[in-house]
Amino acid sequence: MDELTREIYGNIGTVSKIVFYLCAVASVAVFAWGIWRRRQMWRIGRDDGERIDWRATLRSFCTKVLSQRTVRRTKRKAGKYHAWLFYGFVILFIGTCLIAVEEWSHRLLGTDGTNLFHKGLYFVIYEIVLEAGGLLFVIGCAWFLVRMLRKGGGDTVGYRKADLWLIGSLLVIGVSGFVLEGMRIIREATPSPGISFVGWAVSRGLAVLGFRQENVSWPHFLTWWFHSLLVFAFIASLPFTRLLHLVAGSVNLCLVRKKLGRMVPISVEELEASGKTGVEHLHEFTRTQLRSLDACVACGRCTDACPATEAGQPLSPMAIVQDLRGHFNVIAPLVQKARRAGTDPALIATPRKLHGDVISAESLWACTTCNACYDVCPLGVSPVDLITDLRRFLIGNGELSGPPAVSLQKVQRSGNPWGLPARERFAWAEGLDVPTVKTRPDFEILYWIGCSASYDRRVQKVARAVVKLLDLAGVNYATLGPEERCTGEFARRMGDEFLFQEQADSNIEVLRRYAVKKVITHCPHCLNSLKQDYPQFGGDYEVVHHSVLLSQLIMEGKLKVNPAKTGPVTFHDPCYLARVHGTTDEPRRVLAAAVGADALKEMPRNRRDTACCGAGGGRMWFDDEPAKRVGRGRIDEALATGAETVAVGCPFCLTMVGDGLKAAGSTAAVKDIAELLADAIGD
Amino acid sequence: MKILVPTKRVPDPDQPLLLNATGTAVDLDGVPSIINPFDAIALEEALRIREEDRAANGGEVEVVAVSIGNTDCEKELRIALAMGADRAILIKVESAVDPWVVSGLLKALAEKEQPDLVLMGKQAVDDDCNQTGQFLAARLDWPQATFASKLEFVDGGRIRVARETDAGTEVVSMPLPAVVTADLRLCEPRYASLPAIMRARKQPLEELSAAELGVDITARVEVLEMETSNPKRECVRVGSVDELIEKLRGAGALPR
Amino acid sequence: MKILVVLETQGDALRQASRCAITLARSAAEAAGGAEIEIALLGANLAAASVAASCYGPVFVLDHDSLAEVTADRYAAAVAEIARARGTDLLIAASTSQAKDGIARAAALLDGAMVSDASACAARDGRLVWRRRMHAGSVLAWVAAHGSPVVVTALPSAFSPAEPSAPNAITPLAIDVAALPSAIRFESVSVGTTGRPDPTEAAIVVSGGRAFKTAEDYERLIGGLADKLGAATGSTRAAVDAGIAPNENQVGQSGKIIAPNLYLGIGVSGAIQHLTGMVHSKVIAVINTDEEAPLLEYADFALIADAYEAIPELIAKL
Repeated sequence: MDELTREIYGNIGTVSKIVFYLCAVASVAVFAWGIWRRRQMWRIGRDDGERIDWRATLRSFCTKVLSQRTVRRTKRKAGKYHAWLFYGFVILFIGTCLIAVEEWSHRLLGTDGTNLFHKGLYFVIYEIVLEAGGLLFVIGCAWFLVRMLRKGGGDTVGYRKADLWLIGSLLVIGVSGFVLEGMRIIREATPSPGISFVGWAVSRGLAVLGFRQENVSWPHFLTWWFHSLLVFAFIASLPFTRLLHLVAGSVNLCLVRKKLGRMVPISVEELEASGKTGVEHLHEFTRTQLRSLDACVACGRCTDACPATEAGQPLSPMAIVQDLRGHFNVIAPLVQKARRAGTDPALIATPRKLHGDVISAESLWACTTCNACYDVCPLGVSPVDLITDLRRFLIGNGELSGPPAVSLQKVQRSGNPWGLPARERFAWAEGLDVPTVKTRPDFEILYWIGCSASYDRRVQKVARAVVKLLDLAGVNYATLGPEERCTGEFARRMGDEFLFQEQADSNIEVLRRYAVKKVITHCPHCLNSLKQDYPQFGGDYEVVHHSVLLSQLIMEGKLKVNPAKTGPVTFHDPCYLARVHGTTDEPRRVLAAAVGADALKEMPRNRRDTACCGAGGGRMWFDDEPAKRVGRGRIDEALATGAETVAVGCPFCLTMVGDGLKAAGSTAAVKDIAELLADAIGD
Repeated sequence: MKILVPTKRVPDPDQPLLLNATGTAVDLDGVPSIINPFDAIALEEALRIREEDRAANGGEVEVVAVSIGNTDCEKELRIALAMGADRAILIKVESAVDPWVVSGLLKALAEKEQPDLVLMGKQAVDDDCNQTGQFLAARLDWPQATFASKLEFVDGGRIRVARETDAGTEVVSMPLPAVVTADLRLCEPRYASLPAIMRARKQPLEELSAAELGVDITARVEVLEMETSNPKRECVRVGSVDELIEKLRGAGALPR
Repeated sequence: MKILVVLETQGDALRQASRCAITLARSAAEAAGGAEIEIALLGANLAAASVAASCYGPVFVLDHDSLAEVTADRYAAAVAEIARARGTDLLIAASTSQAKDGIARAAALLDGAMVSDASACAARDGRLVWRRRMHAGSVLAWVAAHGSPVVVTALPSAFSPAEPSAPNAITPLAIDVAALPSAIRFESVSVGTTGRPDPTEAAIVVSGGRAFKTAEDYERLIGGLADKLGAATGSTRAAVDAGIAPNENQVGQSGKIIAPNLYLGIGVSGAIQHLTGMVHSKVIAVINTDEEAPLLEYADFALIADAYEAIPELIAKL
């Protein structure tokens, strides 16, 4: 068995080996320098205090990078071939390293001539694995090359001309590796060559072409050098090409910790120090964000998932990231120079300004902050995060006017976006005997009503349904009554951080006064704000969506319901519930109880892949022409299920879907799951 | 070029209003205030004239905001500064003022400041008089253009203004200095958020008194009594078109 | 007491609003225990109008070609001169855009005692007091003006047009027109596309929603009713999106914010965005087939009926 081995560096003379190692060192040095240069460029950004948690990083590496899970989630085919390419590459890389270990160890131990471990069963396994790896690698490269040659074939992935050379070179590396192996097999008449099954097949082919042991040495030698130089070129060029994502991308993916739907607060001190909010110049992004620009490979998954892009709005998350990256390449050296000279980078004269030239305000305002882009990105890039930081500057600089600005002003003065009297906030509950924190001081759960249910007649019906269900189940709950004010959630997502903080401080004070610990709400935006935003300001509560509590009450038997006979029903998952908070089962359980599991027809984009209704991120207050209204496609999707009722779990969705259905001339109804449940229970 | 923009502090129109104990004035205690929306439009227009260099003078435009009232007005002046005004002046007056008094004070200020243009809202949403701009123009003996929906600068130190009238959109031109009052359609004011307001806090406010300006602040119009009319609506169902007409006439909503 | 009413013309006839101003003048005369009412007319080609005006009181005419187009400085100077010449104690005009522009300027040239948009007149403690709306109509105030002359503009919708009586004398005024200020130059006027008032200015707004199936129906019914009432038209975002109504008409948070005397919402459900655009209207009346429409909760009067039937009936009976 020990005869099963092969000579390492056979046909490669000492001079070649020395030159080879020198080249290796040189290419690794160039690689390292390139990466270092990029890292220094990332460091022009703000230090956000990111500290590496090695355990979590290692875990991320395994669950995200090694598993290739993130790249396979969407664009499944491309994800699969990328996984093949990746595993193939990793196998080949490790394999090559093992060869080097073998070479150096048997050289150091003075057992020149025979391999230490690279023989026998190990060798057999090694060869098979590497052949398979090489094959995966070659097939992967070929698939991507073909896709690129077909100009994407309708795929949204972004390419540059140079990328064609890149993938071509990788393919050539893979193929030449097999050719090399084939030649080696011929030259050395390797015993049991069939173990290296691909190489063996290649050697058969080469033999047909006339290559024999006598004449193969030179071609082998030349091919070996060709293959090696190509590999060194690949290593050295990595930081300067799309391949940078191997480093920047995996680093970003492993280090990024930010949860969906969460934003970083700005303190008043920061505001006083800098005199502004948000990002005006590129170097005001954090280092993490700048690094994420390098992580992006323009794969297009974010743009595919973006509801604004779908509606024809001037927003493509991929374009935002790539445009920022282009600007970053120009700006970063200038900023580094300015810092060395001790001048303020903000004063650098640039041919293109970040706001206006590189990124238009129009594209920034088109975002609904649905977080699909961040969720779907295989490399942990968050375009929505970049967008909200840029929005913060626009708002702080007074560059917003019209109805959306008016909504912000109304929240500040009246505590709701419509400017309706604050003292009428609890008027919806008139005559309904709804318990408040004053009438039921020993409540356990606070039912947070939110602005929509307080003032919008249609949404008030949802609150009434929830109240009816909670009363029926005997839940010990209370509402804040007229003391509730807008959570400020949409103000924060529009970029008005301080209006949000004003609202949060006011609400947190009221919640503290009534010792609120648990909160239930029917609005996923209020939910997200209370759960993720408010803890940043001292408000810590256990917050659940009403579907979670209702589902629990049904399972505990506290709500007894027989499913009502209805036509087909489809559920439109709210972005902030399904994607940001991962709550997708509970609403379906409530629906199943209310209308029966058979009535439920799923839309193609459901659960975490839900398509935004278009109201988030403050977009509810923007007036779009119907043709470009975000969420239009979703209406068509809902209608295509044949559903007679669209069930929702969010007051924004309720309004948007309702309006959308009416505009489409449909008679389908839109109802909150609580309404459907209350209807099914009857009186 | 200097543009003077009077900005009036008014109570937020969204808020339900209560009267004071004697029923002679609105109780403003605890009611949020805002810059009169029409004045905010005028201020926005002045800022755009500067930013877009519409007067073709290299953008050398000084925008001066002025408020008349007590120190509470400082809040609105800071917002004006936050939106982008270069200077803010408070003319301190403790008593109630009417268009005659305001125009007198503004006239004295205009004679002091020598602006090229006074750009203000067509009316204040609290008293709804729609007189102050016209009074000021008369007293300064300057030409006026009221209800402006478009403002252009033309050669020879003149402006051309499109005005919204009952007859349609009228276009007039006049030499500067002039008084222009802004209509709703002139432009949309920008939103001044906290960062801008905080920056503005560092800017000084100038204060003047009526005495310094040598103006008599006796009002010509006196409010004798007030009543509020924002009761909760009780919807009355009518059974026919005839009944509807009758009810509407009775409520004074339809002319007889 | 001498009252001077400045009238405006529309072609050869007097503007209806001006006739409403005469009603206020008569009411003031009564409250004052009797007064002389004189009429002033300024403009060009006023022969026929003067005759019509003379049926309300002795007319003083300033008829000159250069006054064909009214510019504020010239008009105000002329009005002020006439008032001084006639020894006027109380100058009244209808509160039209021309009066707001020119009469207000004239008031400042006189004594600066002006009350705008008066809707009633009364006598109190031996002087005349005036009622007017403030705070976009949510406050009604009684005010007194100190000075002479007092200038009052009348809110036309608060008065019915005065009926003419026997003709009076027509006297041309000897005012040196050439000496009047002329810094303001009139250039042009373009009539609005529909000739209807703007929803933000009109006293009555007739608003239609998705109940109307086509743009033609909307124009025929809502437009027709608006024309009958001299009102403006309004619509909802849903109607604009459906192409039934023009965008300039949209009332709501992202459209126009209005507060007319009367808001007539026909086939409008009253979604919250629309509501915030008209909730401060003085009187809200609704015609809808849907009893559950949110707008009903904000309405003063509601008629549950089909718009297509109710509107023609309404037009016929008004």
